[in-house]
Amino acid sequence: MIDPRVERLGDLVANYSLELKEGQVFRIDGYAIAEPLALALYRSALRAGALPYMNLTLDGLSEILVAEGSDEQISYLSPVQWAEIEELDALVTIWAETNTKSFTRSDEEKHGALISAQRKLSNRRWERIAKEEMRWCGTLHPTHAHAQDAAMSLGDYEAFFYSACHTDKDDPASHWQEVSHVLQARAETLAAVRELRIVGPDTDLRVGVAGRAWIAADGRYNMPDGEVFTSPVETETEGEIRYTFPAIFQGREVEDVRLRFEGGSVVAAESSRGQAYLRRLLDLDAGARILGEVAFGLNYEIDRFTRNILLDEKIGGTMHLALGAGFQQAGGSNSSALHWDMICDLRAEGEVYADGELIWKAGEFLEAAPVAVAGVGA
Amino acid sequence: MPDPRLERLADVVVDYSAAVKAGDLVVLEATPLAAPLVRETYRRILAAGGHPEVRMAVDGVAEALLDEGNEAQLGWVSPARVEQIERADVRIVFESEYNTRSLSDADPAKQAIVQRARKRLGDRLFERYASGELRWLVTLWPTQAAAQEAGMSLAEYEDFVFRAGFLDRDDPAGAWRDFGERLDGLAEWLGKTRELRVVAEDTDLRLGVEGRTWVASSGRENFPDGEIFTGPVETSVEGEIAFSFPAAFGGRVIEGVRLRFEGGEVVEASAKRGGEFLDEMLALDEGARRVGEFAFGLNESITEFTLNTLFDEKIGGTAHLALGKSYPETGGLNTSALHWDLVTDLRTGSEVFADGELVYRDGRFLDRP
Repeated sequence: MIDPRVERLGDLVANYSLELKEGQVFRIDGYAIAEPLALALYRSALRAGALPYMNLTLDGLSEILVAEGSDEQISYLSPVQWAEIEELDALVTIWAETNTKSFTRSDEEKHGALISAQRKLSNRRWERIAKEEMRWCGTLHPTHAHAQDAAMSLGDYEAFFYSACHTDKDDPASHWQEVSHVLQARAETLAAVRELRIVGPDTDLRVGVAGRAWIAADGRYNMPDGEVFTSPVETETEGEIRYTFPAIFQGREVEDVRLRFEGGSVVAAESSRGQAYLRRLLDLDAGARILGEVAFGLNYEIDRFTRNILLDEKIGGTMHLALGAGFQQAGGSNSSALHWDMICDLRAEGEVYADGELIWKAGEFLEAAPVAVAGVGA
Repeated sequence: MPDPRLERLADVVVDYSAAVKAGDLVVLEATPLAAPLVRETYRRILAAGGHPEVRMAVDGVAEALLDEGNEAQLGWVSPARVEQIERADVRIVFESEYNTRSLSDADPAKQAIVQRARKRLGDRLFERYASGELRWLVTLWPTQAAAQEAGMSLAEYEDFVFRAGFLDRDDPAGAWRDFGERLDGLAEWLGKTRELRVVAEDTDLRLGVEGRTWVASSGRENFPDGEIFTGPVETSVEGEIAFSFPAAFGGRVIEGVRLRFEGGEVVEASAKRGGEFLDEMLALDEGARRVGEFAFGLNESITEFTLNTLFDEKIGGTAHLALGKSYPETGGLNTSALHWDLVTDLRTGSEVFADGELVYRDGRFLDRP
């Protein structure tokens, strides 16, 4: 029997996140191990009248390419892939790893070459998404590898993941509609703020956000979702921050990152492990030392760190501040090849002030933002 | 340690069959059950300088489409398929099924819509193939489902499959080259024939083959392989044929098929089982009632019937006739969305005459060049 939580997730992503319509060309991307969700999405898309097709690949192939391919082979982009992008009305990416550490011993330079070649394809995709020519959603299918990263059994991890998506209950779409109202209201309230001050253990950071738009991440682009984010004013970050969770980029971890900002840029960076990698990423390009994103994680079903950014950045009661590329739709202008989400746990002692007024304490906003309809507290 | 026959298969497929060259875009299709073969083949393609692009097929997609799809959805072809056929240099398919019977209850009318939609694609594939722009290869990776279909254990079936591909030999590619030369000789010799007459139990069939080319299949498009085939003159086929082997097609099995031809066309058709599906396929389009291919199976390392056309049509001592589309390289002109191979055993009580002269008896050519 098909896990009803998987079936509901397929329905939710097809109908709520992507709003698939009749005749829309819809591609399902992922590894073959994500087969149950891929099939659920395929069926939901057919019921919506869309034209779905599978684009599944096999785990372990990119590792072989990096290890055995020539530079030309690693950087090669298939004309089939280029042509397909132009035809899509909607795309889902299902993340489902069989081994999250499979690139650990790969040649970094060759791995980097593969990533930057693939980025050309994803840039074109983002261009079409930004122009509203196509829709995209990223979601996950639980695997042993993800459960292992979270130090959980697969069964427990599935329960955790589907509760974060609310597909463990009937009618998850109406839950997400409510979340959407609450997050939109929060985003509107935050839009009036000129400066945020984040205070916590070894943390006292001022982030200028005047004139920037806050965006409610309400399950359209990610499932699960649940955050509000913006891009800070590039020159106005001042002070210190300590990230309690490991900061992970492309599978490599840096622990206990501490950053000091002056005039918007990182001027000092320390960590207890992975210092060389931290320095290399900060020196990647001119934009890598500047914040591209500040966000509140507001999905309270996600109550633990699981080494997966899709989930970790939404942990209820955390904030994340990403180094690197900002979001144009939020008014951000920082550009970089980096976008490194680092998560700061504010659930125990954190406080956030908006233009001097305390608005957030111990992982929650003090006042609910005014919402037109009854909703969940965020 | 991996089965050395797996490495030999990947080797033969990439170096001999598909002959991958530097710069080739090679699209590879398989189910996850063939994962070890996919990874090994991926390696060989890289080593040959090609660009492998892997598309995995999972179980249940065809079933879902036939279950839920409306006419527009059934008749739609994805941009991935269109672009692959347009842009790939090589296309390799590893048959690797989970369940050979999963479509048994599917609606034949819906299957026909899917079939017709893929026809245009198939035409384009053959066009690029005929002009040498695209190479394609179909082979099989042994799975429990295929073993079950054959009535064997997986280990027995692996032996059967790998023996059929000469992969139990040290130099499979060399063996295929030698076999290919023999088939070429036979094809050339048959090329002089104007009419074939096939006589066997419940069978007396005449096929005009004048001016048509016999093609030797020696492991380039199918692997394993071993047949010579042509496209008979479209209006020439007369008489009756009974197919002693069941015919697996579109995920179902049709047994005891008998056909009567007049003026090249099927005028009477019956089956012991699956008659409705047979009728549906014959009505698919105009070309579906005509013969697109006639062939002799000549691979004597395949002796057993396993309900899989890839193998059955090559059994040494059999013949097969396909309803529907002919292959342009034979000179055949029939077009159809159908190409359905029906196989019959000629190993006992059979004779074949070429322009009146007995040339084949009980599964073997009498006077092989």
